[in-house]
Amino acid sequence: MSGTLPLEIEIHPGEHPEWHFLGMTFNADTIWNTVIAGAIVVILGFVLRSQLTRRQSENHVPSKLQILWEAVVSNTETQVEDNLGRVHPFVVPLAVALFFFILIANWIEMIPSKINSHHGEVFVAPTADTNLTYAMALLAIVGVWVYGIREKGAKAYFHHFLEPYPVLLPLNVLEELVKPITLALRLFGNIFAGGIMIALIAGLVSWKIGPAPVGGILAVVANVVWKLFDMAIGVIQAFIFALLVVLYFGMAGAGHGDDHVENDDQHGDHTPELAA
Amino acid sequence: MITPDLIPLASNFLVPNGTFIVELIAFAIIVFLLAKFVIPPINKAMTARQEAIRQQFADLDKAKEEANSAKDEFEAQIADARKEAARIREDAREQGAAIIAELREQAQAEANRIVEHGKTQIEAERQQAVASLRAEVGSLATGLAGRIVGESLEDDARQTRVVERFLTELEKAE
Repeated sequence: MSGTLPLEIEIHPGEHPEWHFLGMTFNADTIWNTVIAGAIVVILGFVLRSQLTRRQSENHVPSKLQILWEAVVSNTETQVEDNLGRVHPFVVPLAVALFFFILIANWIEMIPSKINSHHGEVFVAPTADTNLTYAMALLAIVGVWVYGIREKGAKAYFHHFLEPYPVLLPLNVLEELVKPITLALRLFGNIFAGGIMIALIAGLVSWKIGPAPVGGILAVVANVVWKLFDMAIGVIQAFIFALLVVLYFGMAGAGHGDDHVENDDQHGDHTPELAA
Repeated sequence: MITPDLIPLASNFLVPNGTFIVELIAFAIIVFLLAKFVIPPINKAMTARQEAIRQQFADLDKAKEEANSAKDEFEAQIADARKEAARIREDAREQGAAIIAELREQAQAEANRIVEHGKTQIEAERQQAVASLRAEVGSLATGLAGRIVGESLEDDARQTRVVERFLTELEKAE
């Protein structure tokens, strides 16, 4: 049993091919994969749009692409309506875009694209870069704040930071800051870990027992299993991100937290019943 | 091994760099494109289809109602027609019976009339025969009797009396 495991596996977490412009660093692979994933989402959307405008009213049988989109959009609208009380014209597209874009971005990683040993993979999940997840979380949380202020008025919105007790002001502020950070890092962590797993599995290839390529066989099997699992993770993370954003919008509009939201709703529901 | 002092802040992947700005813009564009061009037609299509399905169900209900009413009408007409046919058959039967009865009556009357006529004719003929007999039998009998008796029975009064008596006895014997 003279097996040799490579003592050192060459993986470089968080290392990107870089572009430098205006004194700033740009992670090139994140950008091009964002563009690819975004283009896929937008193109699917526009293909559907052209289908819809071409066959408008002549026949109501939806195409498969339409069923896919409608499933996502109608579920999102149900969620938004449950949490915000109405189908908000900004929240629905934001949540749909988050879900679809994150999903495609996560799945891009599944395409094997290591051209040669000098370069990394061409297709890496852009969601494994905090720059993208921070950007999405920032957009979402700013939307949440703006929505909250517009829905309740600036005074009422900022007053809720002092509730239930003024002492809790730091906690309330912290909660508001934790929301985008957890959104961003949860997604980043899951997808980044998936990438590391793939690199580690690839590192198994050099493991041999005598002439038998044990590591190679193991790597193939593990790679298939892991990528399938990672695809499921990709769906779940996309869903969680979009759902949490909708929930944050709902909380910002309705109350001061989950419990209070429910209490308020109950009060709102009960009073008319008693009156009636 | 990666140790903290080997990682400058610029290459710590938890710290955003210029990529962040690009990603922010890129994602905002994606959201904008979906919001402006993709979501509205989807909503429109879903609403249109819901409307179409609702419309179809309404049409279906209406068609069913119409079919039912047409069926009711049809059944009512069939029932009417049956009743009418039964009534016509009944009428025909009654008329037939009436005709038969009338004809029978007529035939009976005709038969009666013929019988009556026959009877009266026979009676007339008998009367005639009796009258002619009465005339002839008298002279025949007197002639015969005269010859036998040899006595003239030319006395009309006596002759008539004898004949009358004879005829009366004859009638009694009948």
